[in-house]
Amino acid sequence: MNVQNNNSVILTENVTKEYHDNGVAVHALNGISMSIERGEFTAIVGPSGSGKTTFLNIISGLDRLTQGKTWLAGKLLSEMSGRELSDFRRDHIGFIFQAYNLIPVLTVEENVEYIMLLQGVPKTERRERVHGVLEQVGLEGYADRLPTRLSGGQQQRVAVARAIVSRPALVLADEPTANLDSHTAVGLIEMMRDLNQESGMTFLFSTHDVRIMERARRLIVLEDGRIARDEIQAAAAGRQA
Amino acid sequence: MLMRIGFRNVLRQKRRSVLTVLTMFGGFTLAAISIGWSDGTYSNIIEMFTRDRLGHIQVHHEGYLDRPSLYKTIDDSEAVGAIISDIEGVEQWTPRVFSSGLASAGEKSAGVQIIGIDPSRESATTHFDKKIISGRTFSTEAAREVVLGQGLGEILKVSPGDSVVIVSQGADGSIANDIYVLVGLVDAGDKMTNQTAFYLHLHDAQELLVLEGRVHEIAIVAEDLKEVVELAEVIQGKIADPKLVVEPWQVFARAFYQAMKADQQGTWIMLLLIMLVVAVGVLNTVLMTVLERTREFGVLRAVGTAPSQIIRLVIFEITVMAIIGIILGCGASYLVNYWLSIEGVALPTAFTYGGMEYDRMFTEINARSFYIPALTVLFSAMLVSIFPAIKAARIAPARAMRIR
Repeated sequence: MNVQNNNSVILTENVTKEYHDNGVAVHALNGISMSIERGEFTAIVGPSGSGKTTFLNIISGLDRLTQGKTWLAGKLLSEMSGRELSDFRRDHIGFIFQAYNLIPVLTVEENVEYIMLLQGVPKTERRERVHGVLEQVGLEGYADRLPTRLSGGQQQRVAVARAIVSRPALVLADEPTANLDSHTAVGLIEMMRDLNQESGMTFLFSTHDVRIMERARRLIVLEDGRIARDEIQAAAAGRQA
Repeated sequence: MLMRIGFRNVLRQKRRSVLTVLTMFGGFTLAAISIGWSDGTYSNIIEMFTRDRLGHIQVHHEGYLDRPSLYKTIDDSEAVGAIISDIEGVEQWTPRVFSSGLASAGEKSAGVQIIGIDPSRESATTHFDKKIISGRTFSTEAAREVVLGQGLGEILKVSPGDSVVIVSQGADGSIANDIYVLVGLVDAGDKMTNQTAFYLHLHDAQELLVLEGRVHEIAIVAEDLKEVVELAEVIQGKIADPKLVVEPWQVFARAFYQAMKADQQGTWIMLLLIMLVVAVGVLNTVLMTVLERTREFGVLRAVGTAPSQIIRLVIFEITVMAIIGIILGCGASYLVNYWLSIEGVALPTAFTYGGMEYDRMFTEINARSFYIPALTVLFSAMLVSIFPAIKAARIAPARAMRIR
């Protein structure tokens, strides 16, 4: 099913996720309905166990929901097979994980190039885009290094480069600054906000980081798997404008 | 890129990769040596059985082998022999005449099998002259000489220079009898033949049995033992005489052939056991790989790698290690098999066959000893990789990435 005439990148309707932990039913998400528009820079916040990461996993098709519906870039995820979801993620979503999750045996350049290779982007274009994006994230000159020879901040920059290089409709960042020192974290947040403003790429964060919250245009607060608050931050919006 | 990831992962876990390669290398080498040894031993035995005695291929009158008869002959053996000589792949041929009779010397007598041979051809074909253990072989021309199996010599209590009388039946119905001078004793290869073999020069035997120009058998030795079945068909076609039957040793020595085949099954069982060891070693590696890299596979799946690509990646990594193991195994097994094919392996107890002593058995270097282990190692490695590969491909990305 396609959602027509809609500027939403993400649309959810009564999303519920229930799982069992040692035989006990846990309601990770309890009927979340919301929409994320194109070009947003939004943070989902809440205490540990509030369902932030689960929500990100559900809307990206990394996890299956128990009830409800999720549309991503106009496509209903529950109608897709595992293979279709793989292809869809490859073409429409960029991921930034807390633990970087780079492929350890590939160099910086190869990690960034990998998704475009899956997409079948021609070699010349791949190389151009990789070098362009590495320059954007300030990692020119690091192309041939393996992730193990980079600092945490540098690795997360590679992860950002990997997430944006294929120009996805949505970048999902799960606690992207959790493992970084304050200076590096601020630099990374600023860089992502610049990317958002320059390219109009949609960013959705799951975070505890106040610095991200301060810079997010929209803040969605989750508590016990429910949206407790959903607000536009005037200050951030003003800064963006 | 997936191949690059595969290659680098093989290099990343060096110790495990080395152990896995060594398992495959060991399995390959053992299997290759075992096949080389088995094929070498069987070739040795087959050569002893055929080359030194029966020949690789035999030509008879139709029905002769089922019901031997003095009258079922190859009438123009020289002409048939000339045709055989011209066929590519034929090394030697030799004509033979067979009958039974009663031999006596002094007070002793014994039932015998008269075997008429062409001494030159028989020596060239089955090394008859090398089997003489006492006295000498025949003169080139027929000279009323006889060579006896060593057992028969003992029964008749004769030695070279003694006279031996034979009584048989001629093809014309007459009583055939004559007296010959014993010139040598021969080790014919087995006890039964040694106690009954009464060798005459072909022309003497034809004269005794009134079989002018006729023989009962033409034994042929091929240049390549492995080509005898095809060669027999070619000879049959060239002779183009429906009354003559050309058969390879697998047919005229069927019982021996079947015993060999049954014995060779043991080699396959050993191969199976070796491969089982390889499979267990490889399975352990693949399972560990998938378990340790669950998070990595989760990331690959999350960023859009298709399940089939993950399966290919896991199988590719094992295939890379298998190929390295096979290449190393080819080198090592070639060296070992080559050395054993020259030096052989000493037998605990030497044995004599056809007058020749065998105290060593030799391996054989052939294509089988490379491609069978190679295919088996590759196949078993890939087979045991499939289940863990599917497991890796079906990893739920969200759950996999939670693993630390």
